[in-house]
Formats: sequence, C-alpha cells, structure tokens
Amino acid sequence: MVEVVLKGITKRFGDVVAAGDINLKIEDGEFFTFLGPSGCGKTTTMRMVAGLEHPDEGRVYFGDKDVTELPPYKRNTGMVFQNYALWPHMKVQENVAYGLKVRKVPSDEIKKRVSEALELVKLGGLENRFPSQLSGGQQQRVALARVLVINPEVLLLDEPLSNLDAKLRVEMREEIKDLQRELGITTVYVTHDQEEAMVISDRIAIQNLGVIRQVGSPTEIYRRPNSLFIATFIGRGTILEGSVESLGEPATVRAGELALRGYPSVPEIELGAGMRVACVLRPESFLMKPPDEPYNEFEGTTEWAAFVGHHTEVRMDVVGHKLIVDVPSDVDTPVGQKLRVYAPQSDTIFLPFEG
Amino acid sequence: MALKRTLSALKRELDAMTAVQSLVAYSILIVFLVAPLALMVGQAFLLRGKLSLYWFMNLLSSPEYVSLASRGGRLFEVRRGIMYIWGYDHGVLLNSLIVASAVTILCSIIGVVAAMLMGRYRFWGKDVFRVLLLVPLLATPFVNAYVIGKLFNPRGGLINYFLVDLLHLLPWRLDIDGLVGVILAQTLSYYPIVFLNVLASLNNIDPSVEEQAENLGARGLRLFRTVTLPLFLPGLAAGAIIVFIFSLEDLGAPIGFTGARANPLARKLVSYQVYSSFAEALTGSFSPKIAALAVIILILAVVGFLVIRRYVNMRTYAMLSKGGRWSPRLRTPSLVTRIAILVSLGLMVVLASMPQIGTVVLATTDWALAGTLPTKVTGEFLSTLTTNPDVSRAIVNSLVYAGAAVVIMVLVGSSIAYIVSRKGIPGRSVLDVMATIPVAVPGIALAVGYFLLFSSKFFRGTPLDPLLDPGLLLIFAYSIRRLPFTTRSVSAGLSQVDKSLEEASMNLGASRPTTFFRIVLPMIIGHILGGSILSFVYSMSEVSTSVTLGALREDRVPITFFISQIIYGVAAVGAVSIGAALCVLLMAVQITAMAISNYVLKQKVAFLGV
Repeated sequence: MVEVVLKGITKRFGDVVAAGDINLKIEDGEFFTFLGPSGCGKTTTMRMVAGLEHPDEGRVYFGDKDVTELPPYKRNTGMVFQNYALWPHMKVQENVAYGLKVRKVPSDEIKKRVSEALELVKLGGLENRFPSQLSGGQQQRVALARVLVINPEVLLLDEPLSNLDAKLRVEMREEIKDLQRELGITTVYVTHDQEEAMVISDRIAIQNLGVIRQVGSPTEIYRRPNSLFIATFIGRGTILEGSVESLGEPATVRAGELALRGYPSVPEIELGAGMRVACVLRPESFLMKPPDEPYNEFEGTTEWAAFVGHHTEVRMDVVGHKLIVDVPSDVDTPVGQKLRVYAPQSDTIFLPFEG
Repeated sequence: MALKRTLSALKRELDAMTAVQSLVAYSILIVFLVAPLALMVGQAFLLRGKLSLYWFMNLLSSPEYVSLASRGGRLFEVRRGIMYIWGYDHGVLLNSLIVASAVTILCSIIGVVAAMLMGRYRFWGKDVFRVLLLVPLLATPFVNAYVIGKLFNPRGGLINYFLVDLLHLLPWRLDIDGLVGVILAQTLSYYPIVFLNVLASLNNIDPSVEEQAENLGARGLRLFRTVTLPLFLPGLAAGAIIVFIFSLEDLGAPIGFTGARANPLARKLVSYQVYSSFAEALTGSFSPKIAALAVIILILAVVGFLVIRRYVNMRTYAMLSKGGRWSPRLRTPSLVTRIAILVSLGLMVVLASMPQIGTVVLATTDWALAGTLPTKVTGEFLSTLTTNPDVSRAIVNSLVYAGAAVVIMVLVGSSIAYIVSRKGIPGRSVLDVMATIPVAVPGIALAVGYFLLFSSKFFRGTPLDPLLDPGLLLIFAYSIRRLPFTTRSVSAGLSQVDKSLEEASMNLGASRPTTFFRIVLPMIIGHILGGSILSFVYSMSEVSTSVTLGALREDRVPITFFISQIIYGVAAVGAVSIGAALCVLLMAVQITAMAISNYVLKQKVAFLGV
C-alpha cells in the first residue's frame, strides 16, 4: 500500500491534451475517483499511473519512489480494464494464476492464493470455466480476482462497471467498496457516472479537456462546487443568472425580480459589485416550511410534477424563472396551483458566470 | 526536441525482444529486398562510372522497345480460311503496357460482372459457381498457356474443331496466338483476383445504404452508378492494380505460348526479354540495358501500387451501421434472367477453367500427342513424378525451398506484424511499407537485382553466390516475395487481439517476451499457420525467380523451372504431359492447403489485393 503522487503530468495526443499539468496526491488507502465526460483524459491519466502511457512532462511517484521511467510490468499495480481483458484461451484459474506464475511463486502457493482470491470475489467453483462461459458480472469478478491475487500496491479500475446492467452495477459497486475497505488498498477509479463516483469514492477529481477542475470529497463537490461547470456537471439543480447587488454576509444577487441572499460557493471566489453570477439551488435544499436559519422565499405556480417515489419532482414558475424543486411525496402539488417554498441562505450559492 | 523525444520513445519501447525482432526484420528486408533493387537501379543509371540516362534513352528511342508504328503481327486478318488474332508488335515495352492494360480492363469487366451476379442475385447452383469461379486461381504455370495455344490451334485445335467442323458456327478457323494469346491466358487466370476483391467490397456494403437510395427514387443503373459502384470502387482498384502488376511480370504465358506455337510475337514482352537475357548472363555480364528495362517495370509496378494503396486506404469507408438487418441484398430475378445468368456464368466458368481441365487431361491421357482429342487414359505421366529421378529431384528441391522459406517468413512476418501493430514504436510505417511492397515488385526485377548483387565480387564464393548454388538465394527470394501473405495473415490475427489483453499481462508483471509467448502467440497461432500454409503453396508455384536464378545449376532446379523447360521444348516430345503432371501436383497441394486453411483453421482466404 502506497500513496500515489502526480507532479505536473502532461500528455498530448497530437493537438488533443489528454492531461494538462495534473498535480495530485492520492493518499495511502484512499479510494480516489477520476470523474469526467468521455474523452476528458481520465483513462489516460490512470494509464500513466499504470505505466501504459508515458507522460510528455511530469513525474509519477509511488511513495518516495519515482516510477515515471518504470515499465508497466515493474510497477506492481493491479488494473481492471473496462472490457475486463480476460484472456480467452485461458481458464478462470489460469487467468487468475497468471500474475503469480510470472512472479515465479511456488505452485502449491499459487493454488492456495488463486482459490482464496476466487473465494474473495465469490467465484469459488468456476475455476475451470473459460471466460466465454461466464456472465458479464462473473467476468468482472475474475478480472478483479486476477489483480487482487498479486497484492498490488495500487488498484486501478477503469470504468469497471460500465458493461454491466443497472442492477448489477449497483451491487458490484458496493462489493468493490467493501473489498477495498477490507483490504485497505490505495484505489484509483475512473468513471463517467457521477452517481457511481459519489457513492464509492473518498475523494473525486473532476477532469475536463485534460484539466482537473476540482478535487474534493463527494459532499464538498456537490455542495461547494468551485465553478459553474462542476455545479452543472454534478447533480441536478436550478441555475439563476443575475448580478451582485450588494456585498456582505450574506451577499445579495438580483435575478430579474428576485433578490437572492446567499454566499460564494467556495471561499476562493471573491464577489464584486455588479458582477455577473450564477445562483445554484439544489432541488433537495428547498423546504416546505420556513427553516430556523435565514432563508430565501419563493412563490410560484406548479407547471409540471413527476412522482419518483421518495419525493415528487416539481417544476415551478417563479416570476418567469423556472425552479426545480423536490417536494416530499406526502405534499400534494397539483399542476397550476400556487406553491410556496423556502431555501436556506447557507444552501444558496453563487458562482462566477461562465460564457 | 522531436528527435530527442523519438529517441527516448525508442529507448522505452525497445526491450530485448522488440530489438531482436526489429533487427531481424530490417536486416533481411535490407539485404534481400532493398539492396538488390537499389543496386539494379544504380546499374541502370550508370554509364562508364557516371550517372546517366543513357540506357533509358537508348531503350525509349529504339524501335525494338518502343515503336508507335506496328512492327508486324496480325489482328483479325483472314488468310486461307484462318482468322489470325495475334496483335501488333509495338516494341517490347509498349507491348507489355498494352497487354497489361488490356488484361486489367478485361479482368475488371469480368470480375465486376461475376461479383455483381454472385453478390446481388439469388439463383440455382450459386454455391457451385462460388467454387468454380475460383478454379482459375489454381496455379498451372506455363501449361495453362500451352493448353490455350493447343485449343485455338487452327490445325486440330479442339475449339476450332467444335466451332467450325462440328457446329459450322464460324466461316473460318481461329488462330489466337502471340500477344492476344498472352492476354487471353492472363485474363483467364487473373480475373478471380478482381472478382474476389469486388465481391468482398460488395458484401461489406450496408444494405440499408442501397435501400435508402431506392427509397429516395434511385434504381437500376442509376443506383449502381451513384451508390453501389463508388462503394466497391476501392475493391476494384485494389484488385485491378494487382492484375496489372501480375500481367507485367508474368513469364508463364509468354513461355507457354512460345512452347505451344513457337510464334515469336509472344516473346516480345519485357518479362520475357529479361528472362532470356539470363541465359547470356551465365557466360558474360548483365547488360545495363536489361537492368534499365527491369527498372522501368519495377517503377511502374511500385508507383502504381503505392498510388492505389493510398487511394484505397483513403476511400475504404467504414460502414457506420447501428444494428439492423445485415444480410447482403439478394433478389430472385425472373426465370428468363436466371437462365441467362446460369448460361453466361456457365460459359465463363468453362472457358476460364480450360487451362486447369486441359492440364488434368494432358497429365492423365495421351492428348499431348493425339491431336484434337485424347484417345486413351494413362497413368504413366503421373507415375513419372516418383520414378523419373530428374522430376523427383525438382519436387524435393521445391519442397525444401518452400519449407525453408516458410520458416523465414513466419519469423520475419510475425515480427513485422507485431511491431507494426504497436503504435509506440517510431519508424513502424517504414517497416509496414517494406513488408507490403514485395507484392508489387516484379519477380524478374528481383531476380535481376539478386543476380547483380550476389554474383558480384562482394558475395562471390559465398553460399549466396547464385553461380555456385542458387538454392539458398531461391529460399530468400521466395521468403521476400511471399512475405506479404504471412504478414497480412498475422496482422489480421493481431487485429483481433485487443491491446488491453497485452496490457493486462504487462500490468500483472509479465515482460514483453512473456506476454508475447503466453498471451499473443496462442491467440494468433491459427493465423500464423494459415498464413504459412498459403505462403508455402505460393512459394511452390513461384515462377519468376525460379526460372531465372533456378536455371543456374541443374541439380538445384525447382518444379516451375522444370515445367518451363519442358514446355519450352527443351525436353523430348511428350514431356509436356510430365509438365502437366507436375502442375496437377501443384494444384493438389494448393487445394489441400486451402481446404486445411478454410475448414481446419477457419481462416477466410482473402489474400490477394492491396
């Protein structure tokens, strides 16, 4: 187990920047996720940790050791590929035993460790199947067992769940998280599924066009995005465009007829008078009754309502602005009726407007 | 900066195995492909030690090589009840170009028609035709032209007997010979190359693309012209350029016709002229004029090949289909049309298979001596394959050469395919081109290059000296000439091995050699075997270097040289049948190989093209 440090990593493919000056420290035992739209460079970044790509600039460290020039087979990482990359000509146990054979582990120990690894991923009894005889979920587990068996210093997971159906995906991500916690292994995870990233990670790095836009815990990123890009990329919400009317604690932003009181999303953001900003309101931060803390009040008409189980998703029109609000499902919200909701000022965040 | 980056990438990617693979591949390609051709080109541009265009000017200004006015020959001329169809002599160089162009055009027409019929219509007996249309691919070097010459002989030729004496369809007998004879023989053997390439392209067209065009109102010829043709044009171009090159360098037809009819017009071709100068080279030195001649067809072939390859690569459209029906559009035509298709395909197949049928008849009967029709079946010619020591020795020689060549091809070909498949290595495109280009290098040009280089002072007395023993040189000649088949086959296998399978292995601690032998090799072994079987077969029937370099020592001759000698008339009368028996052997080997490749290794035979 080891910490992974990326220092000024840059990688270009022709004109495309896959990684632009990435500086990161992934803690020992941490579950760290690269999240971003497809083509943002997250897989390339992970491949540079594995040694499958060589950075144009910058260094990669495992602990104090500079591994930038080390070929992939000397890095002792365990990578699970998006397509699993199971060798079709080898049985399950041969696939799993491969890394140990290469390391010249004695054969009785190989046998023991292979069956342990297969037990760990709940695949005991399938040793003699070929990959083509397994379901997608089982193949996924073989791929996992194949890398866990060598006790890698870093576990690398490249969109491992993207080829599974929705139900299995939820099951597997919990299993992967449990395994990781149990083994305490430093894990780098790549996904484009934000919900998956939120559920599974200790920390998330959001990457776009090769550049890391924000690093933080799931709650930080969700509740305190550092840019409008992050705010719109992660989660749902209402974006109200306006300009700063008065500074102070809280600041006031005017958006049309609405005056919104709230705070900059992160302390690094400095508001100025008259500055164009976006006000971000998450649907679940709205309340049906005035809270004990300072709040903003909205009154409007329900335009559209969709019952989604635990709550009802409502779109309401507030003097020309469209607000997305999660209403508890026990509250009746007929379309066309008036509705009054409250948002705590602490959940009303301002971000500089982009573009 | 760029150089530094290349060097550091090279350092990173060049582990021991890749280094050895690159070294082997580059050294063999340089010594046995680049150096001989470079030397030949050099000779052609030198006059008394100085750079000069003398030999080329000499060639182009001499009417023997280029003559706009006809220097003899007959075309559709009727004399004493015989219509002579020979073609006109415009000088060796122009003749070669005219013949190659005519063969390319004829093959394209026949190939496209056959492919459209097979690829777009449903009719009875289609599966039979699928096989029969490929019969002309079976190699019967020299004997095919001999058979055609014999069939169209105005005196006792079977076709004339049928058309004139039996059916009274024609007022005069036909005498197809000379350049037209060569065109006929080559067209019949090469049209399957166009056919296969076009058919593959047709089958690759997403049916919905044509259906959309019909939906928008295009049909019939308009649909063909605006949608179908542009989409299979790359396939046609790929097949056509190969036909052009094969025709340019072909020795089988000129030698076969000379043997059948002794008409000197069939010899007025570049390939034959280069071939015959080898006989003089034995005693004296090689005339730079011949080198210049070989350089001209080398340049024509290679430039044509590269241009077409570029075009095909550019125009090979990936079909962006998102599911849906994907079975070729087949329609069942009306009964009359179906009968017309059957009759025309039937005639074509019979005509095109004449050489192969004739070869079998020659080998198993007394046809060679009997005149119009054979009179009795005999096994004596086939049995000479084992009883006649000269014949058996030629067979053994060919087996040894082809076998050894396959070993070299597998080593070099899979190395090249593996290196080229890896994107990280600088200079891989050079290797890719060098491994493909032998398809376009005329065999006789390579033979001239080999002779110049390996009989030079530098190699004199070494095992590579062809004057001492051409055996080893033939092995390398076969290896180089058939290398593209192996390389392509292995590349096809590698393209099915996802890169992540190798990366997973390296990620788990396996070095590149371990990864290659444990992961890659087991997955592509079928393709390697398939490629080596085909390469073996094509080495056995190799003509150009065999009949030139092979001639240099009597006890080292390969099968094809032996056949050429027989057909050329050096051996005793009746021996034609022995040549035919050898061709039967070649066909048998080829059919066996294709069967193994198709049914045991499950490899699709798609190996001729750019």
